[in-house]
Amino acid sequence: MGQKIEKTFSVAEPLDKVWTFLSDPRQVAPCVPGASITEQVDDKTYKGAISVKVGPTVTDYRGEVQIERLDSQNHEIEILGKGQDVRGRGSASMKMTGKLRTLPNGDTEVTSVSEISVVGILAQMGGRVISEVSNIMFGEFMKNFQARLQQPDASAEVNPIKATSVAWEATKGLFRGKS
Amino acid sequence: MIHKTSPEVGGMGHPLRRKEDLRFIQGKGNYVDDVHLPGMVYGQMVRSPYAHARLKTVNTEKAKKLPGVLAIITGEDLAKANLAWMPTLSYDKQMVLATGKVLFQSQEVAFVIAEDRYTAADAAELVEVEYEELPVLVDPQKAMDPGAPVLREDREQKNNHIFHWEVGNRKATDDVFQKAPVKASVNAFFQRCHPAPLETCGCVADFNKATGKLTVYMTSQAPHAHRTVFALVGGIPEQNIRVISPDIGGGFGNKVPVYPGYVCAIVASLTLGVPVKWIETRSENLQSTGFARDYHMTAEIAADRDGKMQALRVKTLADHGAFNAAAQPTKFPAGLFSICTGSYDYPQAFCEVDGVYTNKAPGGIAYRCSFRVTEAAYLIERVVDVLALELKMDPAELRRKNFIPPVRFPYKSSLGWTYDSGNYEAAMKLALDKIGYAELRKEQAEKRKKGELMGIGISSFTEIVGAGPAHTFDILGIKMFDSCEIRIHPTGKAITRMGTKSQGQGHETTYAQIVAQELGIPANDVTVEEGDTDTAPYGLGTYASRSTPTSGAATAIAARKIRDKAKKIAAYMLECSENDLEWEPGKFYVKGAPSKAKTIQEIAFAAYTNMPPGMEPGLEAVDYYDPPNLTFPFGTYACVVDIDKGTGEVRVRRFVAVDDCGNIINPMIVEGQIHGGLTEGLAIAFMQQIDYDESGNVQGGSFQDYLLPTAVETPHWETDKTCTPSPHHPFGAKGVGESPNVGSPAAFVNAVVDALSHLGVKHIDMPIAPWKVWNILKEKGVIS
Amino acid sequence: MAKKQLVRVKVNGRDREAEVEPRLLLIHFIREILQLTGSHIGCDTSHCGACTVLLNGKTVKSCTMFAVQADGGEIMTVEGLMKDGQLHPLQEGFKEEHGLQCGFCTPGMLISSYALLQHNAKPSEEDVRWGISGNLCRCTGYQNIVRAVRFAANKMAAAEKKPEMAEVAK
Repeated sequence: MGQKIEKTFSVAEPLDKVWTFLSDPRQVAPCVPGASITEQVDDKTYKGAISVKVGPTVTDYRGEVQIERLDSQNHEIEILGKGQDVRGRGSASMKMTGKLRTLPNGDTEVTSVSEISVVGILAQMGGRVISEVSNIMFGEFMKNFQARLQQPDASAEVNPIKATSVAWEATKGLFRGKS
Repeated sequence: MIHKTSPEVGGMGHPLRRKEDLRFIQGKGNYVDDVHLPGMVYGQMVRSPYAHARLKTVNTEKAKKLPGVLAIITGEDLAKANLAWMPTLSYDKQMVLATGKVLFQSQEVAFVIAEDRYTAADAAELVEVEYEELPVLVDPQKAMDPGAPVLREDREQKNNHIFHWEVGNRKATDDVFQKAPVKASVNAFFQRCHPAPLETCGCVADFNKATGKLTVYMTSQAPHAHRTVFALVGGIPEQNIRVISPDIGGGFGNKVPVYPGYVCAIVASLTLGVPVKWIETRSENLQSTGFARDYHMTAEIAADRDGKMQALRVKTLADHGAFNAAAQPTKFPAGLFSICTGSYDYPQAFCEVDGVYTNKAPGGIAYRCSFRVTEAAYLIERVVDVLALELKMDPAELRRKNFIPPVRFPYKSSLGWTYDSGNYEAAMKLALDKIGYAELRKEQAEKRKKGELMGIGISSFTEIVGAGPAHTFDILGIKMFDSCEIRIHPTGKAITRMGTKSQGQGHETTYAQIVAQELGIPANDVTVEEGDTDTAPYGLGTYASRSTPTSGAATAIAARKIRDKAKKIAAYMLECSENDLEWEPGKFYVKGAPSKAKTIQEIAFAAYTNMPPGMEPGLEAVDYYDPPNLTFPFGTYACVVDIDKGTGEVRVRRFVAVDDCGNIINPMIVEGQIHGGLTEGLAIAFMQQIDYDESGNVQGGSFQDYLLPTAVETPHWETDKTCTPSPHHPFGAKGVGESPNVGSPAAFVNAVVDALSHLGVKHIDMPIAPWKVWNILKEKGVIS
Repeated sequence: MAKKQLVRVKVNGRDREAEVEPRLLLIHFIREILQLTGSHIGCDTSHCGACTVLLNGKTVKSCTMFAVQADGGEIMTVEGLMKDGQLHPLQEGFKEEHGLQCGFCTPGMLISSYALLQHNAKPSEEDVRWGISGNLCRCTGYQNIVRAVRFAANKMAAAEKKPEMAEVAK
């Protein structure tokens, strides 16, 4: 089950600062709700984990994050994350391209295009639940991204998103149609 | 000759109200999940999320520690007892619990047994399985490619090709096509769907360690066959196995295969010595049990310019999923698909089918279709309509021109079947008159001028049911006869048992009606039992509309054997010779002196109290019936649809079904079968598909996505009949349960295509959901 | 495991109670604890309606409720339809009009129809179809079920009329 999600948001920080942050998975990963980097393997590869809760179903993925491409000139990064559920419930992979641009007011615009592919129980619920979950996760990611940019020393106490909010959003989404 | 019986006796033709209803309307049915035995525990499957992966480890430590968990069985455990694999009904084998690799999403990996179902579910969540993903094959064409990954590493043949089957004369057919002035063809995909009976599959396996007897309560459409399979696979002496199919909440073919759940429950019970219940959830049912269809078909007709068909050429790719678990008679890997010449006379025909493995649930089964007859009927009725378009000929007219005429029966088709009887034109005439065909065509012409979309679809199908004669038909070697035993009690009541097993078809009533017809004993005095292998005579079960043609025949023959003995007793009681006696249902009387008579009840009493000297006491008989041929029900369905241009929604305005199933036992039950089958056909035509994405994730794995029509979507069905008795059946009956599911998809699709044919549309694959129609309307510029 | 809770309900006129896990579904409570196996389970997404029962006069899909949610309530299942050994007109109707084949959806259908007739004593064909649209059937195609419900409606209406006519006749 493949999903393509495009999101754009801006942060009130200069581009260089944002680029330094964005190009370091150890900084970015904790912004994703339920995610963490557990180990750095080499300068391009990291081991990580993410816990995704959809309703009562918790899937704990463990896998790898790789920086496929790092373009410091154009401020573009391409990351590939792949993981398997530890209990054997399925797998997921995400290819994300992040691009930065300076806005007229000095803020930095972040554009991300993600291609998500899910195998397993979650995928059976269909694209609707996956896109709702992704939307919610991205919303949290944005908030955390902005917060951590401003206060990089703050300990990353980022928990998996609440099951109830996901289930509610997903259900609303079923009736609302594509947003 | 069929005598008329009184309504009190309730023989053939009476719309007797069903005897089985009393318990169901009071909620006192006895389905497998209602079975509750002392000490019973529950089993739950752990299933693979991956469509294709190496199975690396199965870690049950955490799960085993959960209080209330009794045992967990893995593939490795079964392998030690040589049970990790089991034979399928198609001489392939299937994994019971995975070892080495998994081959479809939802495949069985481990079986957890716990004290209650909630604990079993908790424990299943705690089982940790490690997989290594492998490339997934869900496209059957790609699976046939030489370089494709080999799914079944257990086979000697290192590719995904299961079988090639062909019938007919390829060269002669090709020659006709070479010279033919007119040709028409269609690529028709009959999508993967699922019977989805309202009750899912399940069992209670009860092994009694003290007596060594294994009793299995099971959702089984073929209890004896299953018993024999368990004996052969499990090495348990067959007399120590008792399979009981209690009430079954719908089968439609879904309850014919042997599923891993049954085997695991049996193994668990054998090991633990307590009853083990396994009931699958709906999602498990849709994702892992016998699916139907998934046939990619191409049909070509070669014809003369005036519409006379000369040859039919058919090629099909059959997607069987990960294991060939199709329930087919051995000699027919593609079932009775070669009935695809349908109701038409083709001087030449050729048909070939290739089966292929993919990473999908294993199968396929005959979903209310007598072994692939739905696929065949759909294909021929679709391609005939395409030919009609090609010739700019009315589809009814084209059919009429090519029907096998009544004088040609018994008719040998170019693909080898001898049709026992048929009168296709009469059925079509009745259907078209009833629906007002001529008027509808006028209306359509008017509507087209205004840009309104309406269509009329015809399907003149021929069915082939009642498998089947021993010389050609067997499943796993067991010949496809069926049976009946009847015992008359001293007080003239009776008990009768058959080798078939009703899942709603009303056997407790209809079989009693056969006895009533043959012996004049009121149907309400006849108890009918099926489904307990300890008491019922051996049979191959109920599916493929075979009960009436086989066990129904056996019932009549057994009853006639009883009548023969009864005649002797009557002659003795009336002190005359047998030749002096006449029979009418319920009594023998002396020719010319009708008051000198003995009722069947009096004769029954005498069989125990006043037998002729030298005669064996009692009044009973058993018959194992080997049918001389299959039977060929047929009919014409006509459907009118209106299409909403704004939404692409298709509304069925009218549907007329004319069925010919020969002589009818209970017209009320036949009508009910037609209603039900048409509703399933409607669902298939417009709503249902089990599909897989490129990662092998099931789409359509729950009722959220696999849609069943409710009373609101279901139109009002108009039914009628013609009657062309089967010449070889003891009372001329043919069987009818599946006809509506066989004949209707083409009627619906033909109607929709007919509504759009003036725009150049020749074919639309099912399910015809509104978005498909809408896209076509947009593409054709009907909507902007 | 969460602490068990006491559930007290009146079922088909009888007071019943049991200690259950909070997560026990009402359908399991009915089938396994109360041992009333007339209500069935046909799906896992609350589409099929085979589990339909009456709770405090309203139809509910008991597979989508917890037993603890029914605490203090009154439940009617299919087993409660018969009165004094007499079949309810709906039950008669289903038999008379061949409104069932395998019987699995029947208990749910009977309860839904019962509720329908409580609201609408003279339902049209369309009313009936909407009234049972929460109950799936694979065997009958619904046509005879509609006949069965209208048979019951007519019978119940006639029974209502009889006392009135007796008054008029006086």
